Amino acid sequence: MQAKPIPVPDELTRPFWEAAREHRLVVQRCIACGYYNHPPRSACDACLAQQLRFEQVSGQGRIYSFTVMHQRDVPGFEAEAPFINIVVELNEQPMLLMVSNLPFSERERVRIGTPVKVDFEERGEIVVPQFRILDP
Amino acid sequence: MSSTRGRTAIVGIGYSEITRRSEKPLGLLAVAACRAAIDDAGLDPSQIDGLTTYPESPFAGAGNRDGIDVVSVMYIVNHLPLAADIRWYAQIETGMIASPIIEAANALIAGACEYVLVWRAMHRPEGRPRVGTSGAPRAPGEAQFMAPWGCTSIVQWHALAWQRYMHRYGATREALAALAVNSRRNANLNPRAFFYTQPMTRDDYFNSRWIAEPLCLYDCDVPVDGCVALVMTTAERARDLKNPPAYIAGWGQNTAPRRTLLHYALDDYMECGGSLARKLWRSAGLGPADMDAAELYDGFNPSTLYWLEAAGFCRQGEACIFVHDGRIALEGELPVNTFGGSLSEGRLHGMGHIAEAVRQVTHRAEQRQIKDAEAVCAIDGSPMLRGSGIVVTSSP
Repeated sequence: MQAKPIPVPDELTRPFWEAAREHRLVVQRCIACGYYNHPPRSACDACLAQQLRFEQVSGQGRIYSFTVMHQRDVPGFEAEAPFINIVVELNEQPMLLMVSNLPFSERERVRIGTPVKVDFEERGEIVVPQFRILDP
Repeated sequence: MSSTRGRTAIVGIGYSEITRRSEKPLGLLAVAACRAAIDDAGLDPSQIDGLTTYPESPFAGAGNRDGIDVVSVMYIVNHLPLAADIRWYAQIETGMIASPIIEAANALIAGACEYVLVWRAMHRPEGRPRVGTSGAPRAPGEAQFMAPWGCTSIVQWHALAWQRYMHRYGATREALAALAVNSRRNANLNPRAFFYTQPMTRDDYFNSRWIAEPLCLYDCDVPVDGCVALVMTTAERARDLKNPPAYIAGWGQNTAPRRTLLHYALDDYMECGGSLARKLWRSAGLGPADMDAAELYDGFNPSTLYWLEAAGFCRQGEACIFVHDGRIALEGELPVNTFGGSLSEGRLHGMGHIAEAVRQVTHRAEQRQIKDAEAVCAIDGSPMLRGSGIVVTSSP
């Protein structure tokens, strides 16, 4: 039985994981044109500027899509199957997408377009941003 | 129409045995397929002076040992007695299997070589993908934004795209069932198909287990060990050979930028697939309405629907309706995946699609033959990820 994969931050991505440890969701943003890049880039995907910084975002978005994985072959998630993956489109920018899980108990509530808000899952040595359905 | 139209042809097809797990190493399957293709073309191995392949592992992390996981150009050079001097070779790393065919056509037109061998060898690795053997696997690079949430399997990415397609267009799983049943029916007429002897009904489809909802077992291609090879030459040389030539009328490759690189965003499929289709139809001087059949990639079942729309066989959002009422059957208005597709023939990464397009336009398609077929397209890949395609015709 494997533990869940542990991210290996590098010079580009370290601020994302350090902020998560403080329960803050940050996304790399271009100083020149304002475009959000996720995953972080060495040059802005929109304008190629190299002046980029991490900015805290609202942590709110909507479910862009979702899937329930049944196959027990995802490293670290073998025992958890079936489990839910969602892709969240953050409110800050169209197609600014992040991957998350939802608890399996949300299976009946998961729909495209449902509003979600970031939460943080303590997982041993790391903290993982996890989106949760926003209760009306 | 382009100056490359009809100037090259596919003149030989060779299949190795296609099995769930072969006793033979992949390299020997590739040698067998290459020999069969050269023999089918009526050539001697010493006449082959060009080589090309797409030597990609079946999935990331599956290994790339030459002759075991992949079969490189150098492996074939070392294991087949070809021309004393190979004049041209290329190993293509982007696109899919039609991309080396496109390169070979360009090389033949340029006079770089006379007879090209093209192959794609597919291995089904033992066991499951593993990042590490003990403790927590590490997720460096872009995997750090997928693996901690367990979203690293290609089938999950396809499920995410298909979920969004259903939401956007009001499609249901009935469309995928129609495709899967159509493919199986065609595979039951294809003696090389993995599922040659096993029929499948709509109920079988709906009773199969989930893999990644909303995709089930029969939405996934069947992993196999095997190799398919082709022989290509110029149109002039092709006329003197044993088989009728399948002339390469035109081609296209995906080149549009994707909006997300992390997984397959459905939103990219029309733009990315359209970038291939526009070039394909323009270079061939033909359009979707001219096709007697369409061999459309189905590594995962929804890709065929996306291609039907992106390549212009029907309008955006309407493929889920188009595939019903027998329209895509062998006797229908547009026969699709006439050999059974990757779903039912086996995971040959698009080579099965190309081989079938060749068989149809050269009237060598056995019980599956579409009467008077003159033009067929074969398109590989998933439009929001990558792809390459060709049109083959009976006359130049």
